[in-house]
Amino acid sequence: MRGRAHQYLGFGLVGLLLLVILTGFVWLPYDPLAIDLDNVLAPPSWAHWLGTDQFGRDVAARAMLGARISAFIALQTVALTVLAGLIVGLASGFLRGWTDRILMTFSDALLAFPGILLALSLIAVLGQSRHSIVIALSIAYLPSVVRVVRAAALSIREREYVEASRAAGDGPLYTVWRYVLPNALPPVLIIATSLFGWVVLSESALSFLGVGVPAPAPTWGNMLSSARPYMASASWLSIAPGLCIVATLLGINMLGDALRDRLDPRNAA
Amino acid sequence: MLTYIFKRLLLAIPTLFLVALAVFLLVRLIPGDPAQVMLGEGASPEAIASLRTELGLDEAVPVQFATWLGRSLGGDLGNSAITGEPVGALILSRFQLTAVVVLISVGLATLIAVTFGLLAAWRQNSRLDLAVLGMASFVLAVPSFWLGLVLLLVFGVMLQWLPVVGYVPFSEDALGAVLFLVLPIVTLTISETGVLTRMMRSSTIDVLRLDYVTHARAKGLSERTVLMRHVFPNAFAPTLTLVGLTLGRLFGGIAVIETVFTLPGLGRLMVDSVLARDYPVVQGCLLFTATLYVLVNLLVDILYPLFDPRVTVS
Amino acid sequence: MPSIRRALVLGAAAMAALLSACSPAAPEPEGSVLRARLNADIISSDPGMKRDANTDAVILHVVEGLVAAREDGSVGPMLADRWTVSPDGRTYRFHLRDGVRFHNGAPLTAAAVVWSLNRYLAPDSRWRCKADLSHGGVAPVESVRADGRDMVEVRLEQAAPLFLAELARLDCGGTGIVHRDSVDAAGRWRYPIGTGPFRWGEWRHKQFIDLPRFDGYRSLPGAPDGIGGGKQALVDRVRFSVIPDGSAAAAALVRGSLDVLDALAPNELANVTGVPGIHLSSAPSLDFYGVLFQVKDPLLADPRLRRAIALSIDVGALTRVVTHGTGSADSSPIPTASPFFGAVQRPLIKRDLAAARALAKEAGYKGQPIRLATSHSPPEMYDAAILIQAMARDAGINIEVETIDWASQLARYTNGNYQAMVFGFSARLDPSLTYGVLIGDKREEPRKAWDTPEAHALLRQSIATADPAARQRIFDALERRFRAEVPAIILYNTHRVTALRDRVTGYRNWPGQTQRLWNVAREAR
Repeated sequence: MRGRAHQYLGFGLVGLLLLVILTGFVWLPYDPLAIDLDNVLAPPSWAHWLGTDQFGRDVAARAMLGARISAFIALQTVALTVLAGLIVGLASGFLRGWTDRILMTFSDALLAFPGILLALSLIAVLGQSRHSIVIALSIAYLPSVVRVVRAAALSIREREYVEASRAAGDGPLYTVWRYVLPNALPPVLIIATSLFGWVVLSESALSFLGVGVPAPAPTWGNMLSSARPYMASASWLSIAPGLCIVATLLGINMLGDALRDRLDPRNAA
Repeated sequence: MLTYIFKRLLLAIPTLFLVALAVFLLVRLIPGDPAQVMLGEGASPEAIASLRTELGLDEAVPVQFATWLGRSLGGDLGNSAITGEPVGALILSRFQLTAVVVLISVGLATLIAVTFGLLAAWRQNSRLDLAVLGMASFVLAVPSFWLGLVLLLVFGVMLQWLPVVGYVPFSEDALGAVLFLVLPIVTLTISETGVLTRMMRSSTIDVLRLDYVTHARAKGLSERTVLMRHVFPNAFAPTLTLVGLTLGRLFGGIAVIETVFTLPGLGRLMVDSVLARDYPVVQGCLLFTATLYVLVNLLVDILYPLFDPRVTVS
Repeated sequence: MPSIRRALVLGAAAMAALLSACSPAAPEPEGSVLRARLNADIISSDPGMKRDANTDAVILHVVEGLVAAREDGSVGPMLADRWTVSPDGRTYRFHLRDGVRFHNGAPLTAAAVVWSLNRYLAPDSRWRCKADLSHGGVAPVESVRADGRDMVEVRLEQAAPLFLAELARLDCGGTGIVHRDSVDAAGRWRYPIGTGPFRWGEWRHKQFIDLPRFDGYRSLPGAPDGIGGGKQALVDRVRFSVIPDGSAAAAALVRGSLDVLDALAPNELANVTGVPGIHLSSAPSLDFYGVLFQVKDPLLADPRLRRAIALSIDVGALTRVVTHGTGSADSSPIPTASPFFGAVQRPLIKRDLAAARALAKEAGYKGQPIRLATSHSPPEMYDAAILIQAMARDAGINIEVETIDWASQLARYTNGNYQAMVFGFSARLDPSLTYGVLIGDKREEPRKAWDTPEAHALLRQSIATADPAARQRIFDALERRFRAEVPAIILYNTHRVTALRDRVTGYRNWPGQTQRLWNVAREAR
């Protein structure tokens, strides 16, 4: 019962996000970059549903475009992290020994860094751009994925079919590809979903600190960041993007829970 | 036990060395340097060059690294390139504030999470459980800095119950400082409650399924005794690990909350010194937080067997 | 579970210990105290050596030079009440005022002045003005010597009309004369023992600087004027508190724990306007913000494209929005508050999209992206970049905003590594200095935006000329060239806005942009 309700809510919210993103490709209420200096900091009205910002740009249009940009960054980051995490994690968990030890030392070192500071420094080195954010966040989140993959690989390599494959004289790469990888996918899928949420959150935090997606492209994070001086006088600027983040994360997390319920054998009962 | 601790410390050394190396290389790859930042827009190239020499930025990077590492091992983290303050003292003074906020928040969050997680699991699928789970999911979805902004807006700007900005040190105005810390602590507590509650709930459910709980109940023990004596200790162990991880993460990572509430904590210090290219401070901070992270994790691993009778240190 | 209870007790004890370990109470200063704010700690107490704008502002309360900058950018007397210049312009003879004493009670003598000046000009000194006053600089000093107790003679290698202006520069600590005991036996700096209306008190790093009143201060006659004129300490003590966060400082002012909040950022104005018990004081600054072009860039080498961008910008509207109504739109490098801001400098470049499009087309521009670098320090530069991008888009010019942090931006500015960049220059009191930040040899100083022989020649002429009318003609000629060649687009000068508690009287802003807390009184409540 409960699971159902959560699932529906999760699907509903993620569906809404997708709808907003797709609509944004064909229609936006205003040009999200167009300024209107005679109409700055206008409160929500029929003409501007969510009001305008300090340059007279339409907040609704910016939030819609922001959804697209935030989602793309999250998708790219998740893809990159999972790919790198699979390679490192499988190598570490399947080969064990020195490879494992060295890779894990690196992974632990990365984990010991405060994530936001690591991302901040990396972005300062790479220059502020969407690619830098994707790379920085991928590096920061890599250890979490590596741990999950490694744990899965460690348990899978002891199973009979892996033994059998090796006994049959298959090469290690083939064994990993044919037997280990497919069986390691369910936990990876679960963490990938959580990762999507984390990245949306981190991107907004980085943008909030002023090193996120460069202007004038809107993201929910940099909209919140530039709204800060107007918190008291124009609170709608802070409310709208925040609610967007909350709705997205709620949807993603609930979808993730549903996925976990289905894929995690412990919850089968 | 001592051998175990020693072994763990030994294992942490290569990790910390890597961290130190990475820190050093990373901050030096960023364009710009403290000499330029200090002298500003009107400085002549000669002035910048001479200040660079004075700050020791002209030496080869490996030499700089060796010097820094040697000094750091001796406990001397150097002086801030910008203000000349000793980095160690600077970090400790900023860390005090961060530590107070983090410890209180995580303490409160753990209390709330344990209580509600236990109750929700005990009455799994009840209305209470649903409410707890719903709240936890919602809290997980709220970015901490946005929560902070909204709380500021409501309690600071609209209701005017609490100060909006203007942290004053305890030394200047103790009441003011405490009042000012209310909102950051509430924000952080709420933010951290979500994950911990979910963890407590799911581990309690696992424990409740175990045979010995059924045995305990069959012996006729009261529900209260069963929960407190038999379920709680075992269910708390995984949550404790998470508390440890959270502490390790937060000691270095509440820069965003510190920014929202304009708290002069460690996170803000790190962000500011990265932006000002104050290498000694950046290096010191990252080394400090990374070491802290390793130590906190070690502490958790040592404490774990005290709570979980199934695990023994070998 | 006893072990948990124990853990909780231990945790609580640890928290209590942490709370009580925070630094001990700061002593309340006695007597009347005027509290002002610095947005960052000062860097040193050595005038013009290791410095920034905050350092200058604090130090100028403690030390004074032979001459001092006046409100209108000219130079007036300070420790010297009169001086003569030899006909060849190479020898300056300063007469020291009678009865002036250092904070330690020692009288001001010519020997002390000579010692101070030689310390600034010593080979190992890192004094800000050393390069300008050494061989090869704009006013190279050949020798400094005392002539009796109250005459100081400075000989220059060549005539240099800017010599006095150099001595008065705020960023060189006003060439503050300090007593020999300001350094220890080994020559290391201790603290400034000067002649100013306030003495050096306590400097608690990252917290505050306390400057007690100097009771033996001997003032010049007349009204205060810039750093000079009649000065008086009207409070027992001045405390500069270090409060980095602007909104925190605003809250402190509203709460009454601060009397003077200087350099209010435009986007923080809303926090204090209309609050009972607080009033504002505002004055235009001699700074300027604008867009620098890299004229060596293949695309931007064409002045027509640069001019097209200039014509696409509505400078007035941009200034209004970016500075929240506090700044002055200005198309000239010479600030609106300067006495040299005349009829040639006054007209703003008018937005003309048709002309902009035509020029861009003429230049063969086909929508190639132009990268405009900017940063958040101050936030107005970022806002300006966003508006320029949007405005240029209306003229079909494709600008990409590139946000970097301030340190990166400074590095790229210094190396000339940009296509276009929003940049701000702090106050320069003389137009020659203002133009000097733009004009220079790009091979030697890649940060200079404007490098043509005509500009060099006019700048040199302006430095060598003393007569104001003649200088005005030179600056007018520079202005016409600047507008034709467009090596940069000037946008606005900021206004220095200071918020004050109503109990504070006598505070005035001035174009030099430093806070001046002498002649400022604070009524007891």
